[in-house]
Amino acid sequence: MAGLFRKVYDWLLRTFWATEMDVTMIGLQNAGKTSLLRVLSGGEFTVDSIPTVGFNMKRVQRGHVTLKCWDLGGQPRFRQMWERYCHGVDAIVFIVDIADVALLPMAREELHLLMEKERLAGIPLLVLGNKSDLPNKLSVDELIDAMDLKNIAHREVSCYGISAKEETNLDAVIQWLMRFANR
Amino acid sequence: MSYGKKDEDADTGLVKVDRTQVFQEARLFNSSPIQPRKCRILLTKIALLLYTGEKFPTNEATTLFFGISKLFQNKDASLRQMVHLVIKELASSAEDIIMVTSTIMKDTGGSTDAIYRPNAIRALCRIIDATTVQSIERVMKTAIVDKNPSVSSAALVSSYHLLPIARDVVKRWQSETQEAAASTKSSGGFSLGFSGSSASIPVNNSTMTQYHAIGLLYQMRMHDRMALVKMVQQFGAAGAVKNPAAIVMLVRLAAQLAEEDANLRKPMMQLLDGWLRHKSEMVNFEAAKAICDMRDVTDAEVAQAVHVLQLFLTSPRAVTKFAALRILHSFASFKPQAVSVCNQDIELLISNSNRSIATFAITTLLKTGNEASVDRLMKQISGFMSEITDEFKITIVEAIRTLCLKFPSKQAGMLQFLGGILRDEGGYEFKRAVVESMFDLIKFVPDSKEDALAHLCEFIEDCEFTKLAVRILHLLGLEGPKTSHPTKYIRYIYNRVVLENATVRAAAVTALAKFGVGQKDPEVKRSVEVLLTRCLDDVDDEVRDRAALNLRLMKEEDELATRFVKNGKLPQSEPNWIALQHHIADGFFFADNMFALPYFEHQLVMYVTSDDKSTFDAPFDLSKIPVVTREQADAEDRTKKLTASTPSLKPPKVGPAKAAQTGAEAAASASAAAQKYAQELLQIPEMSEFGSVLKSSAPVELTEAETEYVVSVVKHIFKEHIVLQYDVKNTLPATVLENVSVVATPSNEEELEEVFIIQAEKLETDAPGKVYVAFKKVNGEGSLPISTFSNVLRFTSKEIDPTTNEPEEQGYDDEYEVAEFDLAGSDYVVPAFAGNFAHIWEQVGATGEEAEETLQLSSVKSIADATEQLAKTLCLQPLEGTDIPVSQTTHTLKLLGKTVNGGRVVANVRMAYSSKSGVTTKITVRSEEEGVAALVVGSVA
Repeated sequence: MAGLFRKVYDWLLRTFWATEMDVTMIGLQNAGKTSLLRVLSGGEFTVDSIPTVGFNMKRVQRGHVTLKCWDLGGQPRFRQMWERYCHGVDAIVFIVDIADVALLPMAREELHLLMEKERLAGIPLLVLGNKSDLPNKLSVDELIDAMDLKNIAHREVSCYGISAKEETNLDAVIQWLMRFANR
Repeated sequence: MSYGKKDEDADTGLVKVDRTQVFQEARLFNSSPIQPRKCRILLTKIALLLYTGEKFPTNEATTLFFGISKLFQNKDASLRQMVHLVIKELASSAEDIIMVTSTIMKDTGGSTDAIYRPNAIRALCRIIDATTVQSIERVMKTAIVDKNPSVSSAALVSSYHLLPIARDVVKRWQSETQEAAASTKSSGGFSLGFSGSSASIPVNNSTMTQYHAIGLLYQMRMHDRMALVKMVQQFGAAGAVKNPAAIVMLVRLAAQLAEEDANLRKPMMQLLDGWLRHKSEMVNFEAAKAICDMRDVTDAEVAQAVHVLQLFLTSPRAVTKFAALRILHSFASFKPQAVSVCNQDIELLISNSNRSIATFAITTLLKTGNEASVDRLMKQISGFMSEITDEFKITIVEAIRTLCLKFPSKQAGMLQFLGGILRDEGGYEFKRAVVESMFDLIKFVPDSKEDALAHLCEFIEDCEFTKLAVRILHLLGLEGPKTSHPTKYIRYIYNRVVLENATVRAAAVTALAKFGVGQKDPEVKRSVEVLLTRCLDDVDDEVRDRAALNLRLMKEEDELATRFVKNGKLPQSEPNWIALQHHIADGFFFADNMFALPYFEHQLVMYVTSDDKSTFDAPFDLSKIPVVTREQADAEDRTKKLTASTPSLKPPKVGPAKAAQTGAEAAASASAAAQKYAQELLQIPEMSEFGSVLKSSAPVELTEAETEYVVSVVKHIFKEHIVLQYDVKNTLPATVLENVSVVATPSNEEELEEVFIIQAEKLETDAPGKVYVAFKKVNGEGSLPISTFSNVLRFTSKEIDPTTNEPEEQGYDDEYEVAEFDLAGSDYVVPAFAGNFAHIWEQVGATGEEAEETLQLSSVKSIADATEQLAKTLCLQPLEGTDIPVSQTTHTLKLLGKTVNGGRVVANVRMAYSSKSGVTTKITVRSEEEGVAALVVGSVA
């Protein structure tokens, strides 16, 4: 009997009060995905994190919404697996290191390659220019041009500049993501 | 309520789990939010499929794997455990498993008490590849020294599996492993396995971690003997390691070290001795077994072990008794006198209600018993036989067979026993064992022949096994005509012709014929003829054919027919192959001379299974098969049967293979080796003209086993030549020897003339090579030259360039002197067997010559050792069971052999033992050929 009550209670809780959404975070290696996720989930920023082998998963709790964030490895060997993890999620977050201009073309290429996949059509995309605290960085408009975001159609696309280290603009990111909960 | 009911449904669902259905259901993993309960059931189904041998194809496995990876980091701890478990199993079949590395690492890490930590560690080591092992180094290191045994064990076992993948990385974890092995931690508390939340690890007081740690340490240090020794000594100290399984591992390791390195034997034996007094029985047993299994163990060394085992024999627990008895049983096979102190305790176990224990008890006693106790034992067994199964009966019969050969004087009682059990109920295997034992008795204990034949005759009167009846009839045909009243057997055999099926009738006809052909008594001959004529009306073709053939042979000139029926030597006029077929088919092929059967079989198999079509152009060449006399074959057969000891109920062999080289065993293996040599020598064109090898000696070591170049020699005797085969091994790393030859200088240069040397072209490190040096006997084929050879190894040594792995162009010539060896009289002698020694002794003495020598063998410690060594060095076969001394102080050894030229050599060795002077022996050798007796005696002196 106890089990039955417990089950009903859980169900009520899930249906009326709690919402869970899946978000994947991708981007080239050393863009700051793992660090961003750590900061988002309330952790400390660390300078020397090791490259992610495979993926990380963390939950970020904001009110009654739980963001399940899948932080995927950015090294070339993991990139073909992005699609598998982006399939069926509520939002895709693409993170770019805006202080490393040389890598921008490659980032653009990978992003467009992924967005062309049919299975991922319609999933909202958020492009984040990370490391805005560093000198010699691109502005948001420059980033939009560099990533050729205007040519990504059939989905909602946004672009913010953030800094995981200084925790600037992170609230905006959360707010943006929350909009897609309950949909 | 409904919940419980659903559970039941799930259970019944598990029984008929189907792979495709489960794969369809796996979409559940992608649903959001995750339903832990349902997912767990589904994962259980997958695990069930995997564990029951179902294989998912790669694409399905990969899909499943990615589905499961969505379940990571769930709050439900049990779900996490299941996820790790299934991932671990899927890791071998799915692709891209490396993806989950980071996530799993997160579950392994930290100081959390989460229940899934061990599971995560075990899964981690399955998904990681060699390049990423480094990234988990820190996690593993902390896990190995974790205070929780479950975590620590998981990490150690995982490291064990990672070791072959990334040896260098894992080797760096040695100090942690060492710490884990040394720590006698437990997570403390007297909790009953419950803790507040289900998500934390239940309390685990096991010390199994030590076992795992020592296992891992051994793997890490396997190639470093000094480190192993240190490890055994460190952990072998009292109280250093608590876990019995870990100590058992140390025991085996110590035994192995003692076996490999003679210098370590003493300290290791001390350790083993200490473990005999350990408080865990498991350790006691292992130590006792290790000591008993030790090569050349002395009576003093083993006494303590036997004493411990003896104490266990009176234990109230059946399994303890069994274990102790089993070790004693196998030890009794080669050191019966050491075990005989336990006889009293073992005798109590004969009546044990556990049949395995009782059977072991009896067979052990049969081995350890002296002549006096045999009769009493037999009586006890008789009462016991009806109660046990065939399998046990066979074991006992085998033991008795060995005993018969050991104590020929006791044959009457044993024969009676065998006859008795032959009449009992029993299956084919059991009856076969009994009949074979009787065959052996007839063959090797001549006194028993008539009685044994009578038992067998009685047995075939009512024998349901065609195979056995045929064999017995064949034996009757062989042995019957030689007995004093052949007519008695004719009646039994003819009864078979009247009463049995066609196969038995045919065998009976052949057996009958052997009484008729060459029969001197016209009365007997006439009656056999009458009986055979009656067989011409048989309904079966084969029976009629055999009867007709044999009738014809009986009318033939006696001489020819006798040779045809009784002698294996083939009439030269007939083509070999066809003759052979005839002989085998008719069972004639069994007489004074026979082919060396194992070699013959090997050659035939080689011929039949040859891939090269041209092989079949020529018929099988029978003349290449060496012919041995019956005596030689019997001698080999007997030693084999004696040393094969009792095959018990097949106890699993643990540890290194036993290497108790007794003289008899060496002889048995030597015959196999000789055939191998003969084959190798045939391959060498230069030696094909020498003819076949008459005798190959056992290898003689010319260097110590640890020198730079290890050399041993085998002496091959041919008709007119002698070939020395040097087996050379180069143990120097990074060196190649080229053009290796041996300069062998005989001390007796008048009689031996060097013909040629066959060099070994190239010897790489640790690769054995062969050098042949051939000598011609100057005085022709009859001569038996003896000589001492001094040997110098000559070669060109080249170093290997480490960068290219190629040997350098320029080498330097070098010489290496090895020990001398003798070509002695015993090298010309082969063992032969005969039933009656005294007769031959007188026969040879009348015609031949005699030589005598008295020797003082002060280094030999017992009569038994002396017996064994003398038979070995003289290369003669002990007769009449004299290879097993009965008394500890005096003994007479009777030996027989033949020279390569065919002349008989008999030796009578009398020995006396005293603790002061060792063994005093007086060797008297008689030989048919001139000069041989002195030569043979000379080979001992």
